[in-house]
Amino acid sequence: MTEPATDSTEAAQATAEPDFLKVAGLHAGYGQARVVQGLDFSVARGEVCAILGPNGAGKTTTLRALCGMVRGRGSVTLNGTELLGRSPEQTARLGVAHVPEGRGTFNDLTVEENLRVGAHLRTGRWRRDGRTERTAVAADLERVYGYFPKLRQRSRQAAGSLSGGEQQMLAIGRALMLRPSLLLLDEPSLGLAPLVTRELFEIVRAVNEEERTTVIVVEQNAQLALDVAHRAHVLEAGRLVLSGPSQEIREDGQVAEVYLGVSVRSGKGG
Amino acid sequence: MSTITATLGTGRARRLRATLTTLLAAGVALGAPFYFAPFQVFQLTMVLLYAVALAGLNLLVGFGGQISLGHGAFFAAGAYTAAVMLDRYETGHLATLPVAAVGCFLLGLGFGVPALRLRGLYLALVTLAFAVFLPPLLKRLEPVTGGSMGLTVDKLQAPAWSGLAEDQWTYFVVLAVTAVALLLARNLLRSRVGRALLAMRDNESAAEVMGVRLSLHKTLAFAWSALFAGVSGCVYTWVIGFVSPDSFSFVLSITLLAGLVVGGLASLYGPLLGAAFVMYVPSVAQDISDAAPGVVFGLLIIAVMFVAPTGLAGLAGRLRGVAASRLTRTTPPAADDRTPDSEPSASPAPADPAPVDAEPVGAQPRTEKD
Repeated sequence: MTEPATDSTEAAQATAEPDFLKVAGLHAGYGQARVVQGLDFSVARGEVCAILGPNGAGKTTTLRALCGMVRGRGSVTLNGTELLGRSPEQTARLGVAHVPEGRGTFNDLTVEENLRVGAHLRTGRWRRDGRTERTAVAADLERVYGYFPKLRQRSRQAAGSLSGGEQQMLAIGRALMLRPSLLLLDEPSLGLAPLVTRELFEIVRAVNEEERTTVIVVEQNAQLALDVAHRAHVLEAGRLVLSGPSQEIREDGQVAEVYLGVSVRSGKGG
Repeated sequence: MSTITATLGTGRARRLRATLTTLLAAGVALGAPFYFAPFQVFQLTMVLLYAVALAGLNLLVGFGGQISLGHGAFFAAGAYTAAVMLDRYETGHLATLPVAAVGCFLLGLGFGVPALRLRGLYLALVTLAFAVFLPPLLKRLEPVTGGSMGLTVDKLQAPAWSGLAEDQWTYFVVLAVTAVALLLARNLLRSRVGRALLAMRDNESAAEVMGVRLSLHKTLAFAWSALFAGVSGCVYTWVIGFVSPDSFSFVLSITLLAGLVVGGLASLYGPLLGAAFVMYVPSVAQDISDAAPGVVFGLLIIAVMFVAPTGLAGLAGRLRGVAASRLTRTTPPAADDRTPDSEPSASPAPADPAPVDAEPVGAQPRTEKD
């Protein structure tokens, strides 16, 4: 277990709250299988954090423990509130939006209905800024369509008829409708063409910069994730083996090659 | 629902066609009682009435992805609520409707609780148990329910100002209830609750991480569904004027489910088609074979499911697709396009359509079996 370095130029510029999400001694697994075995790391507010590692390292399980889909031991606090022991629905109420592996779009619903399910929890009548929640949701629909113009074109189509890339966009857009303070992305590149993946990551970067949404992205495609992320943590067999600013991880080519199975040095330029 | 209509056309053309279809259906529905003989009007009334129960079952099974073999019991609860109120307290007919609706909604909430822990066959079994145990219970509660003799109550009477015969007046009252119920079901599905329900059916864990409370919405689905069954049962009492435990055996529950599946799951007008099937096909079966109408009925169900695995509504949609592609080649489609569409949503012409659909292929499953 490596203590994440707290001072880095990128993270410091990101925020003054280094412990927005604090994970301490997190254990999680399925039944007898203990997949995550003692994780400690923090994510600063407004930061994009990548969790990297080979297959079976426990990346997805970590994410699922954060959002309540998998039971975890230890402690995970978001802005000081304990997340462990809550149901996925309660966690969502605290502003954590999870984009599951394999997208999980609602295929019989239209694109717009999918997005509206994302706003399921926003039932209040009036907001603090004097707008009604209904107009706020409508504005957020526009905002999501702004990020993903393709979704606007297909707004009345069944989600099941979209391409893989469009479904991933929809899944991310749907999560944004929650107006999350923490966005969890599970393998957004899964099964997508490299070009599409790159486009997606650019949008994630744009969302992070414009909305100051904190993002945790789990990826096998280390190179792409490191381009977008401020910091990265490398998992191996349920434990953290490497943590630091993306720049350092990328430059630590040898370690990266061992744990990530790819040569990231060559892709440094982007 | 909206995804289905979305594929049919775009913008104004679709809206125009929907409006025309609705107007046509409304015209046929309003004109029917003046055209048909009283007995046929009565049959149409029963179709409308069953459609309400099927629409409720559709919310649960078609859109909610759960199952219930106990909806006959909610139907019975609604029917007895109305009968007991009319018999003992001599309230007006209209007063029984909200009581039956609210009562069955609460009953459904209670039965939604096992639905949280059980799914599939296990849930089917628990709901079936409810349907099986209700008739004997009704027999035991003789002071209230009249025991196995049942209760005879006043039917709906046509007020003098209407100038309508009794069967016509009853038809219009039931038509109004059915129209409101179907509209309510449709709007429910387009609301936040309906979206949550559909999202849950599509992907439960994804719905949950979006903040959909599974337990709440599963229970609500049961409650709404029971409300529709209860309303249907209440109207049944208005129309028939007699309830007895034997009218609501567990076979009713199974018939309702079969009707829904035959009509078309998760389809908006599937319940109407299913109700027509449930109403007319048994008598057709009786005509075909006096000795074993049940066998014929069963074979007809198999036949329909063989030709139209998505139910009659799915078949109608497919026929419409074929018709539309043919018509676009010969004549402008707008005029003729809606005839196949109107057929299901308008009240089905007596006796003919369902068996005609089913008969030519009646031989198929038999050869399959041999």
